[in-house]
Amino acid sequence: MTTQIQPIQRAPIAPRPRPRSKAGLSGHKYAGPLFASPALIGLAIFLVAPFVLAVVLSFYRVQLNSPRPARFIGFEQYTRLFTDPDLSAAFGHALLNNFTFAVIVVPVQTVLALGLAVLVNRKLRGMVIFRTFIFMPLVFPLALTAVIWRLIYSRGDEGLLNAILGFFSGGALSSQDWLGSPSTALGSIIVMSIWQSVSFQMIIVLAALQSVPTELYEAASLDRANKWQQFMNVTVPGIRNTLIFVALITTIFSFRLFDQVYLLSRSGSVDRGSTETVMTQIINTGFDNNNVGQAAAMTVIFMVIITVIAIIQRAAVRQRGGV
Amino acid sequence: MMTIPKSRRRSGILGVAAAVSIATLALTACGGPSTDTAGSAVEAGSGEGTIKVWAVDGQAAENDALKKIIANFESSQSKIKVDLKLFPSDQYTKAVNSAAPEDLPDVLDFDGPTLASFVYNGKMAPLKDSVSGETLANQTDSIKSQNTVDDAVYGVGMMNAGLALWGNKKLLDGAGVHYPTTPEEAWTAEEFTGVLDKLATVVPGGKPLDLSEQYGFAGEWGTCCSAGPVIWSGGGTMLKDNKAAGALDSDANVKSLTQFASWKKYTDPNADGLAFTSGRVALSWVGHWTYPTYKALGSDLVSIPLPNFGKGTKTASGTFAWGMGAKSKNGTAAGKFLDHLMSDESVRTYTDANGAPPATKTALAASALYGPGKQLQFLGDQLSKACGTEDRITESCVSVTRPVTAGYPVVTDQVGKAEAAIYAGKDAKEALSAAARAIDQNFADNDGYKK
Repeated sequence: MTTQIQPIQRAPIAPRPRPRSKAGLSGHKYAGPLFASPALIGLAIFLVAPFVLAVVLSFYRVQLNSPRPARFIGFEQYTRLFTDPDLSAAFGHALLNNFTFAVIVVPVQTVLALGLAVLVNRKLRGMVIFRTFIFMPLVFPLALTAVIWRLIYSRGDEGLLNAILGFFSGGALSSQDWLGSPSTALGSIIVMSIWQSVSFQMIIVLAALQSVPTELYEAASLDRANKWQQFMNVTVPGIRNTLIFVALITTIFSFRLFDQVYLLSRSGSVDRGSTETVMTQIINTGFDNNNVGQAAAMTVIFMVIITVIAIIQRAAVRQRGGV
Repeated sequence: MMTIPKSRRRSGILGVAAAVSIATLALTACGGPSTDTAGSAVEAGSGEGTIKVWAVDGQAAENDALKKIIANFESSQSKIKVDLKLFPSDQYTKAVNSAAPEDLPDVLDFDGPTLASFVYNGKMAPLKDSVSGETLANQTDSIKSQNTVDDAVYGVGMMNAGLALWGNKKLLDGAGVHYPTTPEEAWTAEEFTGVLDKLATVVPGGKPLDLSEQYGFAGEWGTCCSAGPVIWSGGGTMLKDNKAAGALDSDANVKSLTQFASWKKYTDPNADGLAFTSGRVALSWVGHWTYPTYKALGSDLVSIPLPNFGKGTKTASGTFAWGMGAKSKNGTAAGKFLDHLMSDESVRTYTDANGAPPATKTALAASALYGPGKQLQFLGDQLSKACGTEDRITESCVSVTRPVTAGYPVVTDQVGKAEAAIYAGKDAKEALSAAARAIDQNFADNDGYKK
């Protein structure tokens, strides 16, 4: 529908030639590169150089704080990552945790953000207070809230969650070790992570909601559309691009998941393997085990995987005419 | 459109980036310059002037005590001045690691397990020629063992650290449990399970034990103070002849750590850190540093040896100590300052401030807390019965020094990780074998961390 309107709007502008921009560029030969240089230098220093350095380091055996010179070992770090039974299992498991996290968090968090945004978009008295409460988890530092969540997830009836479950089930459900048991550890981190960051997505969606013209709702109600039909046919298409954006950044956040896992599982007596993500594993390898070469190889592989995902996601979104 | 072809620009950026990265790589590679025989570069110097001192920014009371000790030193003589610099504790080891040996001060504080790595990097000087013989002879065996690398002493310590099962006498008596008071009488692991069964009936939540889970097992607490004593007491070691395979994954360790994990059902997770003082648990497995909080129990507070897994009760020992920078130009003055730090008066000032057991023989004997007949005499006794490093463990010695190797960061990470996994229910043999393989691989990559 929108595609039909666009050519008509553009028609009068299209035939106009654009001589100015061309003259501007050729007149100042270095203007383009000059204006681009601050950004390019920044990108080169903070993105390209570290990545190239990681690639270079991954071909060496480098130990942090070691007087031994770095030793060139070719692809050994990579072959180890894929063939060493311990390393490949750990790395694969960390990747799997990341994917599980993304597969659950991206849809749940996006839908939840939309739901909350619709909820707080109503013009009720005291809505500011609700908005503040929903937004609060994002304001508190994670290190602080992690302390509370550790108490919530604590095992035995001392844990708040267990106490509540025990109260409602008459004591039948009160001994789950939420973080300690491998089967619930990742789930617990997912719940905490959604609680922590859903409000950020909600704020973005809320801004988009408020930019949907009210005339559309009026027109829809004249057409006798009920609330649900209005939501599906006016609200959702109106904020489609924002929803795609929210899903994109949530995916990116899911893959660089680090602090939630680090704070919740390092401080309890938790089997690290059950919640390890690629980021925590890289930090652990590079800075606890001081094995920089190995960690560099992991980052390179991870970078490749992320790039592939980003390309697929972009292609999928483009096809449907989005951002 | 564009004045510079795309491809050329990109290659330019890549070229710059590659140049930068190669330069950085060169820097990384040369981080620690290869050194000749460690520390021989210390110059005796004139014995006067200003010496630089680096220390960890500890608790306020510790810092005040240190400043007082330095003031006493400066007023006791007029030739040597002290320039003290304090570093935040989480940055301290990084600061020493990233400093070149020339940039290190004359005297520096270091954490026990990091010493071997500092020596390996040529950052520390042996103390033999700078510090007086009396000072060295007055060091307790347990701290001496921590501060000795390849048969040379690189550090002297004012304080030590030790572990115990802190007991709540009221709850123990309530359950009719008789508790051991000397290392020789320590409960065996089987007896300990029976004790826990009895105690479970008298504590409110039915979980009478605190294993300090709030510190996290997957880290230094796990290795030094939780898995360590269990492994050593069961007759096992973490490394044997610089290899973990055959040592860390031995059947003895599998048995001991499985037994340890079986106590999880008696254990309060202690997420709030109040399990012992609030009376939720009767026994708390933790270090001497909780005494200032635990003494709230008054005469109900008792200290009990950790359980015996077959080869006698064992505790970890070792903590921050003092050494000399490898390139000090004023060895004599630095040595005099270290002598002053280790004097009875200085040690008393310092350990009174933080409650730690003194690490010198005379100060330990005179301690109002750890000395003979005093409330924490048991912890003092444990430290006097030093085993040295784990390869020298006997049935009767108690305090064990953590492995002295430059590869300790890998050891502590892997052992802690394995313990946490076992405690969470993973098969002990599997977890320990994986840890052993990871340690051995890293040691092999670094030629065994031998010079």
